[in-house]
Amino acid sequence: MKPKAVILRGTGTNCDIETYNSFKYVGAEPELVHINQLLSGEKKVLDYSIMAFPGGFSYGDDISAGKIYAVKMRKLSADFEAFIKDKRPVIGICNGFQILVKTGFLPENKANAQVSTLYTNDCGHFLAKWIKVKINKKSPCIFTKGLPEEIELPIAHGEGKFIVEDKTTMADLVARDLHAMTYSENPNGSMLDIAGITNAAGTCFGLMPHPERNFFAWQNPDRPRSFSAGAAAKGRGKPAAAREAVAAGYQFFKNAVDYVG
Amino acid sequence: MIIEIWTKEKYARNEEAAFIARLAHAGLKVKAARLSRLYKVDADFSKEEFEKIASELLTDNITEHYSLSPGKAGLKDAYRAEVWLKDSVTDVVGESVKEAVADVAGKLPEAVRFGHAYYVPCDSEQKLKHAVTKTLVNEIVNKFKIEKC
Amino acid sequence: MTDLLSTFTSLSEKELVALDKACGWSLNAAELAEVQRQFRKMGRQPSRGELETLAQTWSEHCKHKTFSGPVSFKSGGKVKKYKNLFKETIVKATKTLNRKWCLSVFTDNAGIVEFGKSGKWGLAFKAETHNHPCAVEPYGGAETGVGGVVRDILGVGLGAKPVLNTDNFCFGYLDSKKKLPKNSHPPERIMRGVVEGVRDYGNRMGIPTASGGIYFDDGYLLNPLVYVGCAGLIPVDKIGKKVIPGDLIVSIGGRTGRDGIHGATFSSANIDEDTSASAVQIGHAVNEKKTLDVLMRARDLGLYSAVTDCGAGGFSSAIGELGSETGAHVRLENAQLKDTHIEPWEIWVSESQERMILSVPKAKLRKLEAILKAESCEYCVLGTFSGDGSLLVTYGGEKIVDLPMAFLHGGVPNFEKPAVRRNVKISGGNPAKPAKSYGGLLKDVLSHPNVCSRHSVINQYDHEVQGGTVIKPLQGKYGDGPGDAAVIWPQSATLDLNDFSGFAVTHGFNPAAGRIDPYQMALHSVDEAVRNLLCVGAEISRTAILDNFCAASPRDPEVMGDLVLAAEGCHDAAMAYGAPFISGKDSFYNQAKDADGKEYPVPISLLISATAPVEDIRGAITMNYKEAGNPVYLAGVSRRGMGGSVYNDMADSGNNLISPLDMKAAVQLYTAVLKTIKSGCVCAAHDVSQGGLAVTLSEMAFSGGFGADIDLAGAAREEGLSALELLFGESPARLVLEVVKGKEAEFLKLVKGLPVNEIGYVKEDRALEVKDGWSRLFAEDILTLKKSWKRDLI
Repeated sequence: MKPKAVILRGTGTNCDIETYNSFKYVGAEPELVHINQLLSGEKKVLDYSIMAFPGGFSYGDDISAGKIYAVKMRKLSADFEAFIKDKRPVIGICNGFQILVKTGFLPENKANAQVSTLYTNDCGHFLAKWIKVKINKKSPCIFTKGLPEEIELPIAHGEGKFIVEDKTTMADLVARDLHAMTYSENPNGSMLDIAGITNAAGTCFGLMPHPERNFFAWQNPDRPRSFSAGAAAKGRGKPAAAREAVAAGYQFFKNAVDYVG
Repeated sequence: MIIEIWTKEKYARNEEAAFIARLAHAGLKVKAARLSRLYKVDADFSKEEFEKIASELLTDNITEHYSLSPGKAGLKDAYRAEVWLKDSVTDVVGESVKEAVADVAGKLPEAVRFGHAYYVPCDSEQKLKHAVTKTLVNEIVNKFKIEKC
Repeated sequence: MTDLLSTFTSLSEKELVALDKACGWSLNAAELAEVQRQFRKMGRQPSRGELETLAQTWSEHCKHKTFSGPVSFKSGGKVKKYKNLFKETIVKATKTLNRKWCLSVFTDNAGIVEFGKSGKWGLAFKAETHNHPCAVEPYGGAETGVGGVVRDILGVGLGAKPVLNTDNFCFGYLDSKKKLPKNSHPPERIMRGVVEGVRDYGNRMGIPTASGGIYFDDGYLLNPLVYVGCAGLIPVDKIGKKVIPGDLIVSIGGRTGRDGIHGATFSSANIDEDTSASAVQIGHAVNEKKTLDVLMRARDLGLYSAVTDCGAGGFSSAIGELGSETGAHVRLENAQLKDTHIEPWEIWVSESQERMILSVPKAKLRKLEAILKAESCEYCVLGTFSGDGSLLVTYGGEKIVDLPMAFLHGGVPNFEKPAVRRNVKISGGNPAKPAKSYGGLLKDVLSHPNVCSRHSVINQYDHEVQGGTVIKPLQGKYGDGPGDAAVIWPQSATLDLNDFSGFAVTHGFNPAAGRIDPYQMALHSVDEAVRNLLCVGAEISRTAILDNFCAASPRDPEVMGDLVLAAEGCHDAAMAYGAPFISGKDSFYNQAKDADGKEYPVPISLLISATAPVEDIRGAITMNYKEAGNPVYLAGVSRRGMGGSVYNDMADSGNNLISPLDMKAAVQLYTAVLKTIKSGCVCAAHDVSQGGLAVTLSEMAFSGGFGADIDLAGAAREEGLSALELLFGESPARLVLEVVKGKEAEFLKLVKGLPVNEIGYVKEDRALEVKDGWSRLFAEDILTLKKSWKRDLI
């Protein structure tokens, strides 16, 4: 049976459909659910096996990115805590990562208190570009398993500078290799170049870059010569051939499905 | 009630540098400046309720702190420019915060307006006013006041 | 004021004009007289609301009186008469071409063409301008400009899903020395505000801003131009809309407020703040995003029978337009308001942003309400589309408007405008010898504001949201090469990852040529757009285009002359390239008084936006060199003329000839080149445009991280062409191709008999060496060239 993945929306979420498409492609049964549907009791997160917080500008990112969405989640925190404790995969991408940080689910701590933040980029504004990130092979993160040491992904955020105030928290994070992903060239001023972090179980993962935008090889800005000449012509109209052309981002979603499968 | 949100000094370097550069571009050269964000919450709330809104909603406790008595920047010989959208202009952030306040405080305020304050040490109000209208404020949509702090 | 209204039918012409001015209607004397005549006929005085409604409905903005009006054009000794300039040029080309894949043209909020192979989808495309608001309040003006054009796409047919935003800006030079009048913003501030507005609105909407351009010229110092466009996907069975009598009028999205009243100087006495803010609004992207989310769900469930956006004229235009056949009864007391200080007639004409009007069958209202509530989107039921053919607007018991629809949408008086060909002296002699080496000139041209990198702007736009921007505005080995066209794979609309259909979007724009020859400008612009589409491998035989004219006052016969010539150029180019216009818009009166009180007009500015299908997005190509050893070819003939060039802007060559475009030859050439791309012979293509051939060669090299050895001896050229013209001339219909080594024979077979010649090869080391036979033109390190080019504009 296909694992059910809940793609959580809210006012201003805007990467929900490509995230939905990505989960569908790797064999999950995704469903778009608005936080209003959770708050009204119409839907329950515990009915799903995978959870994703997609990118966007939830509630305009007013006050600060992800803040209002995080406040709205408080009323449902018991369900979210149970979901994470049950080691069901949770991924927060960009605005989703900001939400996980502002709710206090990441970095993991007993009180679920906000112990870090994602602050305005050093450049002071929104930045969308392709960058290289390093995968921490020692990290327990289930989403990054099997990826090469360095991959390319696009970023698109205004508030991505990862800051942890408390030195012990940061030291602990690093000691346990919970920093699953770091920037090869830091685009926003994040501490220790951190691009993504996980919980100790490796099942709850937040990252600033967008794996759903480097899902297929043809989404890369650097098109190889052979791409236009060979692969495309060969695969024309054949879905099977398309699968050969998946890129690094595919692995994140596939890993989640494999983990619960 | 006006709630003032400050970026902690150690994290404020970038926003301050960018602001100082903008002032310089508008012809006012200064060495230091402080910036803050203002939320004017019109509501019949208790002090505790305003504190709760400030600390749980409006402040990022990692990088920011708040004050319920605005205007203290700790800069010598500074002027303070306070900038708001005119009342007739839709305040998008204010509207969104108004709803969020209800999520935190359990009741809806009458209105919320969002603004900025800039603290600039300089020798005349006139110079600051000139720079502010050249770069920060558009009198078509903004209202502002400058005072000695 | 009330006195004047109560004696309206007996006012003198002078009094009418004074009333018009006080109310800010911008109706002319003849139009006012017509309104007066109609009310005399009805035997009663009009209400303020009725006059406001007429002023909106008859405005230049809604009716496009200038372009669709009669014109008498004088050129030399000849006079040509047009009854309707727009219909006899642009629309005529579309009608003559009569393409089956055009699903909706010039009738709805946007043009629609077929998309993909499934037969299920249409692609809607629209562009418009928001110039004046951006001059006054750049940030809010740009935001609401984006919001407006997105709503056009949401309001076409039963609603399309926006998948791409485009933006084209014209500003004065950032370092302009010209003295500005007191209340105008310097270009640097305008640019920053406009870029931030487009960024904040587009990014929040979740629509990639992935195609556009920035153009600097001091003609735009007082009147910046901000063109915003949007493309969206619509199921073909959702293209038709029809209001059913008895349907409810439902407004969704933003609330209505005084912020949307244009120039409301009239009843502002009791309002504490001045009303100038009402001319400009700040956008509320999140409200529009909610509206988008609601519409897409409600559309697919068939919960409404028609939709349109609230744009200019607000409710009065939107409801007037939807109800033009059925009539409408509107109860304004039901409107959701932002503030209470608002007169009923103001609610009726307020242009508050982020509102859409739906025509909802009564039985479907509850289902629609459930979706609106689920998405936290505000709405109100304003009344019904009555079926009696009259427009009745009430507030409580008070009648605000009571007019037959036929009166509103009929009889706008229109008058012939004189037009005359501008007298421009053309000199086509040899260009003056440059004062610098060609290598030095190249670096200057690369760093010119109209050529240099746009990364500092593009990187602020979320140009990849929705995951479908497969050919990006920045591309190549370092992700910073300047692409020719964006290619969109609308997976977020089709939800089908096995359907590789896509579309390309690009632009053509050349006001520098327009100053000299508006007719050739139109040709060159269409050519540039088609050539850009070709460079990514799009199906150019299926090109569809949009026209957006911006001009100064049409009262100036020379401005009208420019317009006539450009419109004729549009017609001829559309016919030659087989590319129909599917939608368009015009904006006049882009002029203002400068610091000395002199009129300061913009040059005639025609933006051509173009789209064409990409059969398989995996086969689309980029502009950077891919592999050392690959041969490089130049397609097209380099012709004489430095007119309109970037070089001439920097150092006047004394030659201002715009080289005439041979469109027939261009189409023949492009058709063959497309075959070479589709057969996999070509792995990089880049057009020759601003800055000329030397710029094209540099950009392909440094974006791929390769050098090249180039000898132009073999390049096809017009007799007498100087080296300066060869390197920096901007004659049209040329592109540079990198051919895959080993595929040359196949390539050459496909371009046999055409002006396509080998000019060198890609090489590993970083030198770009260019000679012309025995004469060595320049040799530069690609990193040095890139450094000149990669400037931060903002």
